[in-house]
Amino acid sequence: MKLIEIKNLHAKIGDKPILRGINFTVNAGEVHAIMGPNGSGKSTLCQVLGGREGYEITEGTVEYEGKNLLDLSTEERAVAGLLLGFQHPVEIPGVKNIYLLKEALNAQRAAQGLDDMDTFAFMKKIRELVKTMGMDDAFLHRGVNAGFSGGEKKRNEILQMLLLQPKLALLDETDSGLDIDALKVVSEGINLLRGADRGIVLVTHYQRLLSYVEPDFVHILYKGQIIKSGDKSLALQLEAEGYQDFLEAAS
Amino acid sequence: MSRVAEKRAELPAWIAAALPATAAAPNDIQSAARQQITQWGLPSLRDEEWRWTNLRSLSRQTLAAPAGDAAQDVPHPISAVLTDALVIEFVDGQLKTLPTDLPAGLTFTSLEHASAEQRAAAFAPAATTPNDALLALNTASAQQGVVIEVAANTVLTRPIVLQWQDGVVPESFSQTRVSIQLGAHAQATVIESILGMNQNLCWRNTVSVVTQAVNSQLHHLSLGLDGDHHLLTDRTFVTLARDARYHSLNLQLAGQLIRREIDVNITDTGAHCDLFGLMMPRGKQVLDTHTRIIHNAPHTTSNEHYRTIADEAGRGIFKGRILVAQDAQKISAFQDSRNLLLSDQAEIDTKPELEIYADDVKCSHGATIGRLDDESLYYLQSRGIPFAKARGLLIVGFAQEIIDKAPLPALVDWLTAQVTRRLGGTTVAE
Repeated sequence: MKLIEIKNLHAKIGDKPILRGINFTVNAGEVHAIMGPNGSGKSTLCQVLGGREGYEITEGTVEYEGKNLLDLSTEERAVAGLLLGFQHPVEIPGVKNIYLLKEALNAQRAAQGLDDMDTFAFMKKIRELVKTMGMDDAFLHRGVNAGFSGGEKKRNEILQMLLLQPKLALLDETDSGLDIDALKVVSEGINLLRGADRGIVLVTHYQRLLSYVEPDFVHILYKGQIIKSGDKSLALQLEAEGYQDFLEAAS
Repeated sequence: MSRVAEKRAELPAWIAAALPATAAAPNDIQSAARQQITQWGLPSLRDEEWRWTNLRSLSRQTLAAPAGDAAQDVPHPISAVLTDALVIEFVDGQLKTLPTDLPAGLTFTSLEHASAEQRAAAFAPAATTPNDALLALNTASAQQGVVIEVAANTVLTRPIVLQWQDGVVPESFSQTRVSIQLGAHAQATVIESILGMNQNLCWRNTVSVVTQAVNSQLHHLSLGLDGDHHLLTDRTFVTLARDARYHSLNLQLAGQLIRREIDVNITDTGAHCDLFGLMMPRGKQVLDTHTRIIHNAPHTTSNEHYRTIADEAGRGIFKGRILVAQDAQKISAFQDSRNLLLSDQAEIDTKPELEIYADDVKCSHGATIGRLDDESLYYLQSRGIPFAKARGLLIVGFAQEIIDKAPLPALVDWLTAQVTRRLGGTTVAE
């Protein structure tokens, strides 16, 4: 079953074309990795799929569960199960994590025609997830990402995912800025998101994450196009040869 | 005295006519103040401290002291939250309830029954320029008020609530004077809860005089909660002795015009003040706070955080003056004014004013004015939270850092709910 199908997607910021014909499909149950050097369009692809303003889509289509994704607002995409893990999660002092988590879950439940989750059940669930991610309960009453270390921010992203159980998780450089311990915890979290009816897209610069979360497919993004696709060995090859040589050979 | 023959607008006839021959202030002080206000008239935009706040709308009204017994004893929302509070009730500036069964070391005296000594303390601050015209008006007129005295070494666990219901009588005008005297090592919390009733036009001009002896501690809250046609001019004078600590939380969520002035005189080593404030003007409300902190002694500290959230055509005004006297070395003063504009018609004026005569001090200040952060909005939306809700979370979040300064946890929750409720009715501005 196709979760998302991207066809010939072109996007630009201002006059600058960034995505230049992306083709790529994720079926339920699959884990895809998109790798590429800086400036190849990885983050733009994530933001366009997330529905961020400021990008102009000039050509192409994106179907998510048979619907035109590009017609949906950011929040509609999220409650439909497409969740974006940020490369740089935003710090929002004053808004407590617990509020964000509760509002997000209840928004999703409302979209499914469900009532707000009972506070007791919610707290129980959250405490379990906090433990899973190796975090402290005190974090729930701190401002969203406020003063968090890089590792804490990424753990928080995965914690949100575990609560909201996305059908398609799009993780933008979730591994960047993590030490090895944090990487392990984050990877375990991502592995918990895997499922026969779910898809995961890992956008990353490094092969390192892929040792912990094994992808079914690896795509190389370069100058706004996927120039090569393969299985996980492609990531190893890329790591061994380095972007420079690999890209010269491929293009 | 200025010899500039600039013609000042006359005191509106209805105010002049209401000036009593004698009032609660000691006679010589009252008659001097009477002369000042008659000569000065109301402050105008030409007076430096009033250049952003126009009282002209007052001049055009004819308000009157509420005649007779205007009792309306509606339950005050804050009593439900602070169930153990000692509640002093005023209705249109008239003292209605003064609790008598008080903890040891605490006394309440109505201004009417105050001794000569208590009156001298309550009316100690003197007006010196036309900027102080409303102080002079109050000194010349105030008959009603209360003296709160906390004896040395008394630590009050129950908060004192001053409950102000203004505008029960429409188009009323009242003047009140509050004196709060803390003995050495005393600790107290005084919460002024202010309601403009029934959407009636009304004006209360009030002055508070806080005197803290050595090592005493006061939490002083002013909570303006309701009333779209409520005018309040409120000046608070604070004098801190050695090691005394004054914590102010000034939260103004309503009112047609609220003008607060807080003057803190730090007179001796080790004393500290916190001035925290949140103003949320909307509609055509003008919410204004002027603070003046004087560091008059070495090794004193002050910490000031003000935030304004202006929506629709609301105006927020903050001016924070910090004066460091020449021999006040090794002081530390911090001031921060952060402001959020939610609509194109909203206006915020903010001005830090530091005047430093000592050379070995740590003073810093900052002011920012901005819109809601698009990044933060997008982040919340990317988690499925609808725009309006995301916006609300961010606004309350901005306010929360001030609300969190309230001394009692029950109060923090309640105030958060008040702010959220207040946002419920705001239009979404792009």
